[in-house]
Amino acid sequence: MSKATADWRRVGDRFYRKTNLYTSLFPPDLELENYVVVGAPYSGAIALYRDESQIFRSNQPGVKANIDIYSCAGTLIRQIPRDRSQGTLIAVGWSEDETLLVVTEHGQVKTYTDLSPDFTPFTLGHEASSHGVKSCRFYSTGFVALLGNNRFVSVPSYHEPRPQTLAPAPPGEVISWAVIPPEHTSSRSVEVLLAVDRTVHVVDAAECEDRGLQAGPFRHIAVSPNGKFVALYTDDGKVWVISSDFQERFSEYDSRVKTPPKDLQWCGNNAVALAWEDEIHLVGPSGAATKFEYDGFVHLMPDADGIRVLTNEVCDFLQKVPDETEEVFRLGSSSPASVLVDAVEMLEKKSPKADDNIQLIRANLDEAVDVCVRAAGQEYSVHRQKQLLKAASFGKSVLDLYNSDDYVDMTEVLRVLNAVRFYEVGIPLSYDQYIRLTPERLVQRLVNRHEYLLALKISEFLRLPVDRIYVSWAREKVRSSSTDEDTIVSSIVDKLHGQRGISFEAVARAAYDDGREKVAIQLLEHEPRAGKQVPLLLKVGEDSLALDKALESGDTDLIFWVLLNLKKKMPLSTFFRTINSRPVASAIVEASAIDQDRDLLKDLYYQTDRLVDGSNLLLSESLDSSDVNGSVDKLKSSAKLLRDSKEHAAQVGALEDAVKLLRFQEAFEKDLGGEKFVGLSVMRTLGKLVEGGSMKRAERVRGEFKVSEKSFAWVRLRSLVKRRDWRELEELSKQRKSAISWEPYFNEILGAGNPKVAALYIPKCTHLAVNERIEMWVKCGLVKAAAEEALKAKDRGKLEELRGMATGGVGVEVERMIGMLGKGR
Amino acid sequence: MAAHSAVKAINTPEITEKARRGLLQLLEAVSALGLLASEYSIDRKQVRGKKNLVIERSLAGTIGLFVKFSTLQEYGVDKIFFLENHNVDSSQRNIIFLCRGESAKTAQTVAEQIKLVRSESQTEHEFTIIWAPRRTRVADMVLEEQGALGEATIHELPLHFIPLEQDVLSLELDTAFNNLYLRKDPTCIFASAQALMLLQKQYGLFPRILGKGDNAKRLADLLQKMRSEEDVNAASDTNNSYLTSFGLTPSSVIEDLIIIDRDVDFPTVLSTQLTYEGLIDENYSISNNQTEVDTSVLGGAPAQSQPPNGTTQAPTGATKRKIQLDTTDKLYPSLRDANFATIGPTLNRTARRLQSDQQDIHKQDQSIADLKTFVSKLPTYQAEQASLKIHTSLAEDIMRITRTELFTSMLEVQQNLLAGSDPTAMHENIEELIARDVPLKTVLRLLCLESCLSNGIRSRDLENFKRLILQAYGFQHILTLANLEKTGLLVPRESHRGYLNPIGTAAGQSATDWNAMRKGLQIWVDDVTEEDPTDPAYVFSGYASLSVRLVQCVLQKSYVYNLVNQPKQPSSAPTGTGWKGFEDVLSRIRGATVDVVQKGHDADASHARKTLRGSKEGPKLSLVFFLGGITFAEIAALRLVSSQLEEKEGRRLVIATTGMLNGGRAVGTAVEEREFGA
Repeated sequence: MSKATADWRRVGDRFYRKTNLYTSLFPPDLELENYVVVGAPYSGAIALYRDESQIFRSNQPGVKANIDIYSCAGTLIRQIPRDRSQGTLIAVGWSEDETLLVVTEHGQVKTYTDLSPDFTPFTLGHEASSHGVKSCRFYSTGFVALLGNNRFVSVPSYHEPRPQTLAPAPPGEVISWAVIPPEHTSSRSVEVLLAVDRTVHVVDAAECEDRGLQAGPFRHIAVSPNGKFVALYTDDGKVWVISSDFQERFSEYDSRVKTPPKDLQWCGNNAVALAWEDEIHLVGPSGAATKFEYDGFVHLMPDADGIRVLTNEVCDFLQKVPDETEEVFRLGSSSPASVLVDAVEMLEKKSPKADDNIQLIRANLDEAVDVCVRAAGQEYSVHRQKQLLKAASFGKSVLDLYNSDDYVDMTEVLRVLNAVRFYEVGIPLSYDQYIRLTPERLVQRLVNRHEYLLALKISEFLRLPVDRIYVSWAREKVRSSSTDEDTIVSSIVDKLHGQRGISFEAVARAAYDDGREKVAIQLLEHEPRAGKQVPLLLKVGEDSLALDKALESGDTDLIFWVLLNLKKKMPLSTFFRTINSRPVASAIVEASAIDQDRDLLKDLYYQTDRLVDGSNLLLSESLDSSDVNGSVDKLKSSAKLLRDSKEHAAQVGALEDAVKLLRFQEAFEKDLGGEKFVGLSVMRTLGKLVEGGSMKRAERVRGEFKVSEKSFAWVRLRSLVKRRDWRELEELSKQRKSAISWEPYFNEILGAGNPKVAALYIPKCTHLAVNERIEMWVKCGLVKAAAEEALKAKDRGKLEELRGMATGGVGVEVERMIGMLGKGR
Repeated sequence: MAAHSAVKAINTPEITEKARRGLLQLLEAVSALGLLASEYSIDRKQVRGKKNLVIERSLAGTIGLFVKFSTLQEYGVDKIFFLENHNVDSSQRNIIFLCRGESAKTAQTVAEQIKLVRSESQTEHEFTIIWAPRRTRVADMVLEEQGALGEATIHELPLHFIPLEQDVLSLELDTAFNNLYLRKDPTCIFASAQALMLLQKQYGLFPRILGKGDNAKRLADLLQKMRSEEDVNAASDTNNSYLTSFGLTPSSVIEDLIIIDRDVDFPTVLSTQLTYEGLIDENYSISNNQTEVDTSVLGGAPAQSQPPNGTTQAPTGATKRKIQLDTTDKLYPSLRDANFATIGPTLNRTARRLQSDQQDIHKQDQSIADLKTFVSKLPTYQAEQASLKIHTSLAEDIMRITRTELFTSMLEVQQNLLAGSDPTAMHENIEELIARDVPLKTVLRLLCLESCLSNGIRSRDLENFKRLILQAYGFQHILTLANLEKTGLLVPRESHRGYLNPIGTAAGQSATDWNAMRKGLQIWVDDVTEEDPTDPAYVFSGYASLSVRLVQCVLQKSYVYNLVNQPKQPSSAPTGTGWKGFEDVLSRIRGATVDVVQKGHDADASHARKTLRGSKEGPKLSLVFFLGGITFAEIAALRLVSSQLEEKEGRRLVIATTGMLNGGRAVGTAVEEREFGA
């Protein structure tokens, strides 16, 4: 077993290590220098495609027309055909969830999710298609494209891609450029660094700012994974590392090479890798450097914590030696962890020194155990993982109290990591990458590679949900099976049945996309969520089934959405027939049509023989009309709809009355100059006429509309009071009979403040009790009359009460009356 | 009242806080974009992007319940517009729309506004649409058709239940009644189901769902359906943590959910409420815990000590004043639920107490310590004084209205109808009211009340009333009457609508036998005490709402039983849970009856949960959900029930609803507001 430090290189005061992950990746005849190689973050898949800017013989064997997706171990996962009809391919990139993005020169973008060959397209907009895309830079969730006119288009997310143009950049040739992802900028949106002429500009959505550097032109720009540093490669072969706000300059390194490097990338956050054909310079902080030489052409694939190096022969991982690893293995290290590892070696040799060692670090033993556990996580070699865990375990056993959770977790993680690093799977995750990626997304990546069994095992091992794995499996099953439909359905249902939370809809969708509609419909039957069934059913053309399922879900949005879709694709009469038998659907259509589409409503009422509703709709329209003639026309047609049926006679009558009233009102407005009548009700028209003194007209209206005596009496009374027509009211009091008794007259007139006239009505209120009448007299201030009333009723008590109220002469009168009563007794 | 004691079980302030945070976070997200526009900012993190907020009018008040305007300003909101009349201006680069996503019409308006601003304005705008409570397919479709979908960033604000008080949760859907009963559009049932699901996710499954009415049944069915879908969703939603997908277990806090479909009990809505809060609502209308009153009514009453909470609107003209009606007021909590008849004495007592306090202050010989306590009490004292002035003026104004002859004759008709006297005897009174030109809504309420209580009005009488109404209020009300008929509020009596009708709908009875209710549930109480009430009937001075009685059937079985069977021994009171003991009465009420027991998937998990919670004996509560709206009077009655329950068994009620309702609003949705030639 080689020493742990064998692959270590010292760069300045730090150590870097090169771990060989896989060997013999590609056949030797594959000329890697003619290909563009792009790796997905977190040791994800590698996309490989022929670099079209280089000339090659198209019929040369081994030259591929596809975009090939390989695992890091060189296993071909998928081939994606290149569609040349949409223009030259400009850039290929990955997002952090392993979505592949392919950008063509006319701004067409295709997104391939889950490593599947199916894509969703979107475009970068008009400007991109007219000026053409020059190049692209990708980051975890989005990318930025450089157009031919030096403008940038940013796509911040692929979920609902919405390309935005950034502020215009200065003209001139763009020598190199890079992006700072939004999570690392203070504005929380992406910023672009571009080298033009001798300086660097910073561009965001609103502005473009010149950073005023003079040392350009800069052949390469790269931003560190944490967004804090920028590496620049000058024309005279120097590498500068500065802060990303351009305020500080950290180090400078002179490569002393005439040709600029093919690639410049960050290795973690503290070293920069320069790649020439077969040579890599690793520049650490403070400008120290080391060189790695390879047999073949190298490609760099930067990751969050290091850099993957790819040649035909090998896939290596370059990274800074993690602190805990350095603590354990550095030559001459006397850290507790290092001593602990030694102690275990001694123990295996049965040397008593083991105990001496333990005693030496007794005070720091728990820390030593922790370091060993963490260091185990950083190892790729199973042997050294074991060695470190054994040390940790030994140290643990000596300690009285130790929380073993971390230890247990680490053993679990290592099992998973070792499983996925296996060359047939080819995901060489480092521990840090695993933590950033999360187990859930690792499982998703396995599913993408159709490693269903491993995904299931890992999910069960880590207690993660397994439903998505099953669904994925079923989708793939649908796509790849060539057997007849029933067998496919039953094999899928057998497997998935009884699993919780399975989305049959997703499987059905895959079946539909694959052109197997029957399978899709059958599978949809098993989907528990009505809301999910509906869109697919609609696509398949099962319209009424879709509507029924939507109704079943109770989700009115879904129902309405289906209805809108149906309305678009069906002839109107079919549409009405469909909704007619479904009251809820019909109610929703009506409710929305009232606000938005009255013509539809008219058609609906007409086609379904809903006469009253139709008539009411016309009535409603007549209210919208601002001139009388328009209203009358609508009212007439409203009445016409109902005229044929007897049961609506009352409504027809009312509608005809409405027309009549409008005509009357029109005439009054003409005759009575300027007074507004249209819009008033019959009663208010009457009121207004009486108030204006047009009694004759009022009588005519009253007769025409058969207004009842009572109603008319009330309206006349109120209007006369309003008009303060006391004379007429006095006249009225001489009448013999009233339709509404006389009391209201008294109340209304008194309420208007005329006790004199009000009093005229008191004697007429013969049906009231004496006391009430007395009260009425008193309200009018006529105590004497009240007393006379009381006298008539021979109510001595009341009289005495009244005496209290009376003043002056009236008092005497009342006194006299009491006396009269006394006499009478 | 006892019901105001902190309801800890369902943490209402938390709901408010969550809604607040949700909105502010969305606003902040837009700020991030807004930063780009501010070119001169040096330290960009300090500047919050300015934006204009366009808000749907019906949402404005709701938002005001949990965010103050000043807070919105802090978050960069420059101006607020209502989404109407195309009045959005382009003074800011960022424009945010905040609207309800369920209506296609709203989506249409938003799309038009975006297009308008885009075509008229020189600058390039950033549009953001926040849909509450969810983004809908229909809205997306409308925006897409209008070409506005790609223009805007779209967010969701999951705004479901908003606490109006600690014991009242509301969806604040103003149009729920209209949509549900007139348009038969079940949108609000779905919205209710979503909101209740959210409660279930937080507090566990309602162990039992009870309900009355066809819509209640629909809601209960939806809840169960959603529960099974939730399992799948939880598992397939990538953003969901795995824990939630273990399935829900029955709640240990909430004992049952009682759903009352509003159309089971229209008469309560139609009746004029006689509690203080109810009368304020009837006369000035309360919305979002606020009412607007003419300044002349308040006289010289000073402004409330606390500034009105979170008004998002600019103050209106000088003639109207907003009054905040909630627990922040010193006196209101003790007044709101009392019968109006007892308000005068209560206010007098308070006035006297305050006066004696004041005399205490002015006493000469005081020690420093005394003074200190006084000073510390001073703010409370002043607040109380201010509140007293407001409520005295309000009560006086209401008194002025209730003393009018028209009000008394209206009330006379109402109480007679409710008490079950012959409705035809009341016809003359109603005719007189029409002839005297009282507001249309008043007349309609009485007619609807009669129709609801006697399952329709004899067609000849109804035709006569219709004619009178059309003559008195205008022919446009043909539409009003048609709407009322569709809503089921004002219908001709049909011979086959009796409760013994063998062709009743399968779902349940199509009409309620109100006479049986008066006997079987004692919904009319003759000797009701308005001061220190013991029966919910006090809120209508005699009429005990059917809705409240139904709740009592579940929670206060022996009380209702004894009330009905006074002469007999109260020994045989029904026991058991759910509707048990009242199945007979229930079968005579229209609509389906719901009774569902919900169990968890995993018996162990629910057991574990029970034992975990069981150790700290928390208060149990029942959730009462009024589908279609609730009146303030019913809330008052339910609070009485709740306080009685709390005293006896230590459990309480929490009331939830789609929105606040009263007779005017219920009838008003049907009233045609347009006139000829306008």
